[in-house]
Amino acid sequence: MDVRITVNGRVRELGCEPGDTLLELLRREGFASVRFGSGTGETGAAAVLLDGRLVCADVLLAAQADGHEVTTVESLDAATGELHPIQEAFVEVGALQSGYSAGAMVLAAKALAERDPDPGEAEIRDALSGILDRETGYVKVVEAVRRAAALLRGEKPGPVQPVLVEPLAGRGLAGPGPDAAGDHAAPSALPRVVASPEVTPTAVVGQPERKVDALRLVKGHPAFTDDVRPRGMLYAKVLRSPHAHARIVAIDDAEARALPGVHAVLHHLNTTRVKYASGGQSWPNPYPWDQVSFDDKVRHVGDRVAAVAAETVELAEEACRRIKVTYQVLPAVLDEIEALAPGAPVIHDEPDSVGIHDAARNISSHIEGRTVTDMEAALAGADHVFEQTFHTHQVQHCAIEPHVTIGWLDPDDRLVLRTSTQVPFHIRRMVAPLVGLPVRRIRVIKPRIGGGFGGKQEMLIEDIVGLLVLATRRPVRLELSRDEEFASSRTRHRQTITFRTGVSRDGKLLAQDMKVVANTGAYGVHGFTVQSVTGLRGLSSYNCPAKRYQCDVVYTNRLVAGAMRGYGAPQGVFALESHLDDIARALRIDPVELRRRNWVGLGDSFDIAPRLGERGGVEDVAVQDLPRITSCGTEECAAQALRAIGWHRRGDESFRRPADRPGIRRGIGFALCVMGSGIPFVDMGAAFIKMNDDGSFNLMIGGTDLGTGADTVVAQIAAEVLGVGVDDIIVYAADTDLTPFDVGAYASGTTYITGMAAKQAAEAARARIAQRAARMLSLDESAPIELRDRCAWAADGRSVPLADLALHVLHEQDQEQIMGTASYLARESPSPFAAQVAEVEVDVETGQVTVVKVVTAVDCGVPINPLTASGQVEGGVLMALGYALCEELVLDGEGRPVNGRLGPYWIYRADDAPDTEVFLIQTMEPSGPFGAKAVGEIPTVGVAPAVRNAILDATGVAISTIPFTPERVWRALREEGGPA
Amino acid sequence: MSRVSEYLRPATLSEALACLDRPGAVVIGGGTKVNAARPAGPVVVVDLQALPTGAVERDGADGLLIGATVTLQRLADDARVPAAIREAARREQPSTLRAMATVGGCVATADPSSELLAALLVHGGTVRLAGRDGEHDRSLAALLADRSPLAGRIITAVAVETGGVTAAARTARTPADRPIVAAVARRRPDGQRRLALTGVAAAPVLVTAERDAAGDLDPPGDFRGSSEYRRAIAAVLTRRVLGEIG
Repeated sequence: MDVRITVNGRVRELGCEPGDTLLELLRREGFASVRFGSGTGETGAAAVLLDGRLVCADVLLAAQADGHEVTTVESLDAATGELHPIQEAFVEVGALQSGYSAGAMVLAAKALAERDPDPGEAEIRDALSGILDRETGYVKVVEAVRRAAALLRGEKPGPVQPVLVEPLAGRGLAGPGPDAAGDHAAPSALPRVVASPEVTPTAVVGQPERKVDALRLVKGHPAFTDDVRPRGMLYAKVLRSPHAHARIVAIDDAEARALPGVHAVLHHLNTTRVKYASGGQSWPNPYPWDQVSFDDKVRHVGDRVAAVAAETVELAEEACRRIKVTYQVLPAVLDEIEALAPGAPVIHDEPDSVGIHDAARNISSHIEGRTVTDMEAALAGADHVFEQTFHTHQVQHCAIEPHVTIGWLDPDDRLVLRTSTQVPFHIRRMVAPLVGLPVRRIRVIKPRIGGGFGGKQEMLIEDIVGLLVLATRRPVRLELSRDEEFASSRTRHRQTITFRTGVSRDGKLLAQDMKVVANTGAYGVHGFTVQSVTGLRGLSSYNCPAKRYQCDVVYTNRLVAGAMRGYGAPQGVFALESHLDDIARALRIDPVELRRRNWVGLGDSFDIAPRLGERGGVEDVAVQDLPRITSCGTEECAAQALRAIGWHRRGDESFRRPADRPGIRRGIGFALCVMGSGIPFVDMGAAFIKMNDDGSFNLMIGGTDLGTGADTVVAQIAAEVLGVGVDDIIVYAADTDLTPFDVGAYASGTTYITGMAAKQAAEAARARIAQRAARMLSLDESAPIELRDRCAWAADGRSVPLADLALHVLHEQDQEQIMGTASYLARESPSPFAAQVAEVEVDVETGQVTVVKVVTAVDCGVPINPLTASGQVEGGVLMALGYALCEELVLDGEGRPVNGRLGPYWIYRADDAPDTEVFLIQTMEPSGPFGAKAVGEIPTVGVAPAVRNAILDATGVAISTIPFTPERVWRALREEGGPA
Repeated sequence: MSRVSEYLRPATLSEALACLDRPGAVVIGGGTKVNAARPAGPVVVVDLQALPTGAVERDGADGLLIGATVTLQRLADDARVPAAIREAARREQPSTLRAMATVGGCVATADPSSELLAALLVHGGTVRLAGRDGEHDRSLAALLADRSPLAGRIITAVAVETGGVTAAARTARTPADRPIVAAVARRRPDGQRRLALTGVAAAPVLVTAERDAAGDLDPPGDFRGSSEYRRAIAAVLTRRVLGEIG
C-alpha cells in the first residue's frame, strides 16, 4: 500500500506493507535517529512526534500515520556542525551517555516545551516517562530539559560547573553540617566535588568537557551497528528451544530450506563442533569450555537450536517455524542448591567439554582462597560468631540497544563483523575457530554502542552471523528481539551466600568465612571470574586477620549468567554490608562506627586478592607482595554522604514515624563499597596518536566506549599532555584492522588502562614535538619545551603554534609524521571507594518500600571529567535500585520466563527515580593517569545493602533476600510480628 | 507473509461495522496493545482514528460523554474530566503511549491492573456500544465481567458521572510501576459510596463499599503478588480510601 506522510515538513509518498510499523518505514527511509528498543513501545527509543505529540513508532503502523505529520530529530539538523538549543542543552549538561535514545529524548523535550515553556520537575519527569534510559539515571536528562526550556525562552543560563564542597573528614562523622542546606540548593545534576590539595592544576583534565561523540549522538546520526545497510543484506533469525533441558533427536529442515528467499539453515547436523567459552576474556579463556555454536542438546528455554538467513525478517521467522525438531525432553533443575543434590539431572553430560570442575555434580567451577589455614580456630577465638545466609536473584542488563551484528565479506573475501560489543578484539580471536578462519581474515568493527553493562562482554551472536555470511556469501544481520534478550542473552548470577564472622567484644573483625553457591545457568561463561570477584569484594573492605572464601559455581537449566556491571561484587557486598549492619545491631554499635573500626585505609593491604582471580589462587604470598592501598578517601566519602542524607535523623522519632502518616516508618541505611580499576597483569590497552597538518591529532584506541564517556576521558588525557583542547583530539575506536589492541571495556578499567596508554602515547608524540619545536626556535633539541594553549613554548618565552609546527614537519623540512604509540599493562588495580546511603519510607501495612533519596560519595581519584563521572554514578545508582527493589527475571516451573518484557520486568523510569546526589571525593592515585581511578561499576554495588539497612532501621526487620518487593517486605514484617 | 493483510480506516460507524465482518478483523484505537502483541495473523486492522468519536462532551448536568477514540493524554489534560480519572489516565501509560492509547482501547483490553478502569468504574462508567442492531449501553462493571457483548460491536463512548469526592491508593514495586493492587473510592454527591479495585480479579471490579471488600475476593496471584497478599492489601487500601472520602 502507499502512504502519504509529511516527514520533517516534506510530503512523502511511500510504499509499505500494511503491517509495517512506522519505525520500520522510517529506518528504511534513512531516519537513523528512530531506533529499535523493544517493538512493544516499552523503551521509547523509537519515539517520534506525530502531529506534534510524542508517540512510539514501534507500535504505530505506518498506515496509521497516513495523512499525518511526523517529526524526527533529523528535523532539527539545520546546519552542519550546529546544534538546536535543545540539543545544545543536552550536550552542555552531559545528559547523553550512549545516546541511543537521544533523538527520542530531544523530541520529548521539544513537545514539552511547546506545551509548557517553563515546565516543573514533575512535568519534565512525566514527559520523559516513556523513554527508558538504562544509563543516565535521568538526573542530567531532567536538567537538560530544564535548561533547554530556558534557552528556548531566550534566557542565558550560566555554564555547567561542578559545585565545590569543603572537606568534612575529621569534623565529626554523623552530625549535621554547618550549612546543611547550603550546597543542596544546586541542581542534583551538578556533581559536588571535594577537591584535594594533592592534585596539581590541569587545563583539560578535571573539566566538564563536552563528550567527543556528542554531536553525532544528539543529532541522531547513523552511528550505531544497525545504522548501516549493506546491499543485498539478509536477515537472520534463531530458532530457540522451548524446553529447559532436552536432547535434539532429529532435525528436519527440508521445508524451511524449500521456502523461496531462504538462503541458509544451520544447526548441529551441518556445522562443525568446536568447543568454546563465550565470555569475552583474555586468552586462554577461563574454563570451562562447554559451548558449541549449535549443539545436539539444549540446556535452557531460549537456547540455540538452529539459525536461518533469509530475504526478510518475516521470512526468516517463518523458516524457523518450519524447521521440525524432535526433542527428547529431560528433567530440568532451576535452583542452584537443588542442582547440587544427588540425583539431580546432569546438565553437561557431553564428553568433549573442557575444564568442567565436576560435571556429574553440575559444578562448573570451584573456587577457594584463604589467608589462614585454620578458619575454625580463628572463629573459635572470637567473642561473638555471627552466621547468616543471603539470597540474590537473577536480573538482566536491559541495554536499550539489543545485541546486534551485521556481517559481510569485504573485497578480499575477509569476514567483517560490525557488532555491538564491549570486546572487539576478543570477538575477533574467539570467533575465528568457530567460523574456521584465521584471525587475519576477520575484521571486527565496533561502532557506537547503545549500552552494554557486561551483557556485551560476550560473544553472544557473532559466530552465528559469521557462519551465515560464509554459508550465503551475502551480508547478514542478526538483531535480537527484546523477547530474545530476555530468553537468550546473559544475566547476573543468582547466589546463595553464607557469612560466618568472628567479632571481638569491641567490634573488631577477627574471622570472615564466606561460602557461596552460585547459579551460572546452562553454561559456565564468566562463572569462575565473576564468583572470584564475589569473594574478593566480600572479603576486601575490612581488615581481618583470618579470611576464607569457598564457592561452587553450579549449572542449572536457567538462562545463562555472565558479566554484569559490578561483576559479582553486588552480590557479595549485599551480603557483607547487610551482615555487618546486623552485627552492629546485635553489638549495639553504630553501624558506621563498626565499619570504621575495621575498614581498610591508606597503606592497608588486600590480602585475599592474590589468592583469588583469573589466573588462579596463590596460597603463599609474601606480605611485601600484597597489593596495597595507595589512595583512599573513605573517611571523606562517609562524612559527606552522612551529612547529605541527614544521618543524624536516625534517632529522631518525629522523622522515623511521621505523625500524619500512621502506616509509614522512615529509615536511613549505609553501605561501604570498595572496587578495583581493571585486572592487574591481565588487562592491557594500547593507543596510537598522530599529528595532523593543523596541529590536531588522531587518537586510535581499541577501548570501547559503551556510553560511559570513555572516548571523551581518554581524549582529555591526551589533550592535557599535548597542550591542546579536546576538540583537537579526534578519537577513533575500535576497529581490529585500524586500532591497536585493547582487552575492551570491562572491570572498570578503561580510564585507568586505556587512559594510561593514551597518556603515554601522547607523551611520546609530545617528546618529538618538543624536539622539533626546539629546532624551529634554533635551540638545542634537548632544550625544555612546554606544550600549552596549542603552542610549544621555550623557556625564554618564545613559542611555535602547533599548527605551524605540523605544517613544517609534514611538508617543509626533514619531513616526518609525528606520532606516538604505547601499550599499558595494569600492574595494580587501585581501588575506588564509595559510601552509599539511602533514605526509605516503608509502608508497614503493605510492605511497599519507597526510596526517597540516595547519596553516593565516591573516591574515584581525580575525576577526569566530573560530568561523565557523576553521570556514571547516577546511572549506576538507578540500575542498582532496580536490582534492590523491583527487577527479577522470574521463571515458571518449566524454566520459561514469566516476565520477559520490560513492562512486567520493570526498570526505573524518569518518574520513578528518587532524588540522587553525587559527591566526587578527589584523591591523588599515584598509579593512575593524572591521579584517576575507576568509577563505572562502584555505584551499582552498595545501593541494595543501603536500602536493606534503611528498611532495617525503619522497621527493625532484617531482610536477607533481594529484591525487596512489597510482598517480601510484608511477609518479613509479619514474621517479625510487625515493625519495631 | 505479512501478519497484517490489510489496513482499513473507516470514516463512519456503519463503515466500521461493515469492516468487522471481514475475517480476521481486529479493531485498534491507538494500536499500542495490538501492534505490540504482533498477532501471528493474518489480520485485517480496522483503525478507528477517523471515526467522529474523539470528543469529550457534557452529558446532562452532572455527566460527561467521553468518546471512545479520545486519547489518554487528552483525557488527562481536560479540566472538565473528574480529577481521579485524569490522574488515572496519566498513570495508565507513559508519555510516549498516552497520546496513542484511547479510552475505548482501554475498555476493550480490560487490563486487570488498570487504574483508569477503576476510576471510570467509581464514576459510574457506562459503555456505549454500536452494532448492527443499534446502540446499546452497558455498565462498565458488567462489560468487564463479561466481554461477549463486544463481539461484532464497536465502543463509541464511555459515559461517566462527575462530582463527588474521590480517593485513590495503590501498592507497587516503584512509584510509577503498575499497581499490584489499587483502590479507588468515590462518595457521590448523594452520599452513596463506590469502590473499585484492581489486581484482585481478571479485570478491575466494582465492589460494594459497605461490606468488607476483601472478604469475597479470590485474586489470581502472580510473581508480583500472591493471592493471599493481594487480598490483604486490598483490605488495607480499601480502608484507606474509604477513610479518606468519609
